[in-house]
Amino acid sequence: MVLLLGLIGLIAVFAAVRSLLPARSIPAGIAVGAIATVLVALNLRELVSLEFWSWIIGFVAIMSAVMVVIHPNPMVSVLFLIMNLFCIALFFLILNAQFLAVIQVIIYAGAIMVLFVFVVMLLNIRLEEGLRIGGGPMRSGAIALGAVFAALMFHAIRNRGEAPYFDPGGYDAGFGTAREIGRLLFTRYQFAFESASILLIAAMIGAVVLAKRRLR
Amino acid sequence: MDPVIARVLIESGVKIALFFFVVMTVVANMSWVERRVSAWIQDRQGPNRVGPLGLLQPLADGVKFLFKEEVAPPHVYLPVYLLAPMLIFVPALVTFAVVPIGPTLSLFGHRIALQIADVDNGILVVLAFSSMGVYGVALAGWSSNNKYSLMGGLRSSAQLISYELAIGIAIIGVLMTTGSLRLSDVVAHQIDHGWNILYQLPGFLVFLTAAFAETNRLPFDLPEAETELVAGYHTEYSGMRFLMFYMAEYANMVTASALVVTLYLGGYHVPGLARLGLSEIAAAIIQVLAFCAKVGFFLFVYVWVRWTIPRFRYDQLMNLGWKGLLPIGLANILWVSFLVLMRAN
Repeated sequence: MVLLLGLIGLIAVFAAVRSLLPARSIPAGIAVGAIATVLVALNLRELVSLEFWSWIIGFVAIMSAVMVVIHPNPMVSVLFLIMNLFCIALFFLILNAQFLAVIQVIIYAGAIMVLFVFVVMLLNIRLEEGLRIGGGPMRSGAIALGAVFAALMFHAIRNRGEAPYFDPGGYDAGFGTAREIGRLLFTRYQFAFESASILLIAAMIGAVVLAKRRLR
Repeated sequence: MDPVIARVLIESGVKIALFFFVVMTVVANMSWVERRVSAWIQDRQGPNRVGPLGLLQPLADGVKFLFKEEVAPPHVYLPVYLLAPMLIFVPALVTFAVVPIGPTLSLFGHRIALQIADVDNGILVVLAFSSMGVYGVALAGWSSNNKYSLMGGLRSSAQLISYELAIGIAIIGVLMTTGSLRLSDVVAHQIDHGWNILYQLPGFLVFLTAAFAETNRLPFDLPEAETELVAGYHTEYSGMRFLMFYMAEYANMVTASALVVTLYLGGYHVPGLARLGLSEIAAAIIQVLAFCAKVGFFLFVYVWVRWTIPRFRYDQLMNLGWKGLLPIGLANILWVSFLVLMRAN
């Protein structure tokens, strides 16, 4: 816990220095790095605990999600979204869904986000001047939704159960492997699997027809 | 710290350092290999003045790149511009972590696999990181803020995505015969049943061709020499950053060769070695050397093809990927299904 709070605090300090006193970025960076190294060296035991890494991955996931929305450059937003998807894949790994983790990287971060990158590259989107919140109704709506979200989080955290952080028992040895998922897909969920494939073929044919030049 | 965890960390650390060192040395010397082999093919001498046989030429090249002025033009988008070469390099090296280079040894009282990470879905990890390799090229092209780079980056991304499909289809053939996603199981299966190239030659050819396209090597060289005078997606890079792209291409080649060898040529297997009755360490050394020899052979094939075949046009390239390799790959899957059924009966 000490290492976690220490590292997050150091990142916050560095961000503050970079935005308020940009001229002192380099010495601040060196100091932050040195203190971080010392903290890690003193708390090596935490580096091999799953809890620590879960918190770090969660932190990176949330920060990258926030940066997707805040950053003015759309391409960098796409990159932060890719970072977020990697963190989600790591969460899948922590939950023992190894096949899903790799598929998340292959399909979502590796194919769908490439299409996002294409679109951003080709559309020549003008850079916005930072995050601006619009006028009256939008501003009040944003504040109201933010309050609702805060209340939800408060309620959820206050009423969380006392379940252990990582429960090593109680699942099959093959859980989450490609073999088990394949077995389920071809026996219990066969209909859903086949209908999803038909849906994908229909979408593919539709895309080809829409993009095709007129047949002469 | 828990002694088991400490042992795992030390073992992985040593393996990572060793693998990284060996791969980087091979990558650095590939430029010498390329220049000498291309000279041999073109009936001339290559670099033979710097050191014996010209072997210190890569060192001289490295020093030259170090001293070159690194011009980052003012119109590039700097954060992404600096990030892009790393995004090409890292996936190639990480993919090498799941490749088995030798059998499992008993050293210091423990069983040590000559593989950094023997994950349950090794083949999928390979596919995942080759998908990530697309970003480096696309972002390098975009961040350069230059029309030629942008087009080079876009075309390269389209090429990489199309040939990723062909690689996936070829890998499915291997997957079907092996029955497992672990790369060490793939090698073990080939040790028992014969190398995959003997049973799946079309799949092997599809994989090899797609591997050429995935590493942006001739004849699929369009992104690099696309506009012929302007260098495509790495136009605006100079000095050490250009060296990063150059080395990233060779690192990709090494990884692709290692994958071809592992999936189709039996990895580290030497047929007939078991009958010699050597000690475990000697057998392991011979098998690791055999793996290196096979990978070296495919690196030679990479260079050989580069200096033999002219470059494809963009539409020829896309036609080959979608209308050529994909049907052959699907036919390969049919053939392999037939084989698996025959074997099961």
